[in-house]
Amino acid sequence: MSRSLSPSARRRREGYLFCLPGMAFLALFLAYPLLYNVWTSVHDVDLGQLLGGTERFNGLDNYRTVIGDPAFWHSVRLSLIFTGGSLLFQFTIGFALALLFARPFPLGGLLRSLLLVAWLLPPVVSGTLFRWLLDAESGAYNALLEGVGLGALSHDWLTDPATSLAGVVLANIWIGVPFNMLLLLVGLHTIDPELHDAAALDGAGARQRLRHITLPLMRPVSVTVLLLGLVYTFKVFDIVFVMTGGGPVDATRVLSLYVYEVFFTFFRFGQGAAAGLLLLVVPLLAGLLYVRRLRHEDAAPTGGAV
Amino acid sequence: MKPPRHPWLFTAIATLVAAAFLLPVYWMAKTSLTRPDRIEAPAPQWVPAPVTGENYSTALGYSGLTRALLNSLVISCGVVALTLLLGVPLAYALARIRMRGSGAMVLALLVAQLPPAIVLAAPLFILERRAGLADTYLGLILADTTLTLPFTVIVLRPVMRSVPPQLEEAARIDGCGLPGVLLRVVLPLMVPGVVAAAGLSFLIAWGEFLFGLTLTQGPDVQPVTVLLNSFVGQHGTSWGALMATATLISIPVVCVFAVFQRFIVGGLTAGSVRG
Repeated sequence: MSRSLSPSARRRREGYLFCLPGMAFLALFLAYPLLYNVWTSVHDVDLGQLLGGTERFNGLDNYRTVIGDPAFWHSVRLSLIFTGGSLLFQFTIGFALALLFARPFPLGGLLRSLLLVAWLLPPVVSGTLFRWLLDAESGAYNALLEGVGLGALSHDWLTDPATSLAGVVLANIWIGVPFNMLLLLVGLHTIDPELHDAAALDGAGARQRLRHITLPLMRPVSVTVLLLGLVYTFKVFDIVFVMTGGGPVDATRVLSLYVYEVFFTFFRFGQGAAAGLLLLVVPLLAGLLYVRRLRHEDAAPTGGAV
Repeated sequence: MKPPRHPWLFTAIATLVAAAFLLPVYWMAKTSLTRPDRIEAPAPQWVPAPVTGENYSTALGYSGLTRALLNSLVISCGVVALTLLLGVPLAYALARIRMRGSGAMVLALLVAQLPPAIVLAAPLFILERRAGLADTYLGLILADTTLTLPFTVIVLRPVMRSVPPQLEEAARIDGCGLPGVLLRVVLPLMVPGVVAAAGLSFLIAWGEFLFGLTLTQGPDVQPVTVLLNSFVGQHGTSWGALMATATLISIPVVCVFAVFQRFIVGGLTAGSVRG
């Protein structure tokens, strides 16, 4: 039969065969579980049912329970603050560093790569590390304040409900800065250097060139990087879980931890699945906007990074 | 951009910035090498004197650490193997072959990176339990690969595109089938891209936490990230041993990154500008 196929048709068939294992894997272990989650979210499932009972269809009851839960809205608020705070600083600091590293200078590449270590360390490691740095008794942060005579500002960050979220955001900023820098650097390199030369010839200073050339030209890339940051920051789990476990009480229980608790602590699978799907809304919207931009732009960071 | 007028001034500034930024990492290593009774001294030392391996022996004496490190190694290598096995042909087909549906598949791979891990961990917990995959290496390797595979294909596709198509055509005229073209012509030319993808997959799997937390139970399969988290609960104030554990987990990360640094940064940025 294959003899009757034209070479291009044969090639296409081989191409589909190449795609099959990978796509089948994702269908089975990614798409199917997500669909199963949708099924769970409209059923009454807890540990009893899972161990042998029958699940009862209960329509939108799980969603109603979640939306009626003040703890859910508290988590939504925390997630928004966490994401907003992280993005603002990650992006700003990342941009400043990208401007610094965009110029070629000796050892620039090496130093830039070193910064990436912060992003590549397992979040559990960074979380444990920041727990130690922010430790009230003998953490480096308070010792540093003491050392420069600001001992009055020393503070028990993670165990005070008023500041624990700030402590977690601080760690997350540290992790995110290198990633922002790297993607923004790619954007900076796409700016035609002749624009800067021409402006400099016309007498524009460094600050004017930044304001009138770099910043406007970086706008599309910046939006893309921020959208990507939104996707990744909104779903952060590890760092918060390790640093505070969502506490003290519920002061840092961001949405992903709320879902975890409902599902894995209370074993309310139906509600957990419903809450999980609600958590999906923000990354999905941001992600779709991002994908749309990607298709419309010639040069946009796709950074498939996790 | 053009070189600055005083390039070494930039080097000096950048060195200071990098040193300040990486101070936490130094502090981790430093604490792990400081004698336990000096760690919590009121005025912390900048340099550990005398240097001690005590914290490392304490940490390695905690039950399960060596086993957990081994578990993580097995899982990460499994993830790399599975990711490349599935991802390389997929990336090649999507990069090179005009097929109906390839646009939709690329879109699906981008969307596949959006769901928060917890949204996937929850149903996988139920499904793997039913399939007998809970608490096995395979179960965790499969779960982790849902993270690495979409990412790998997105990174590799543009790299595959950079191979001149004439080479492939020549090989095909010589009678090479598609698998032959991929193995003999394309792969050797894109070793750097594949190495970058393998390195990044390894790092993702090595640092993965949530699937390890939810899909494994006992010390037989549990990855070292999960163990570190439970150490924090059990030995919360033994900072020396905790930082020794954290350092031990970080060493492979730094090594993989140091060896593949050029490839990894290149791989990330290659994937980031659409060609």
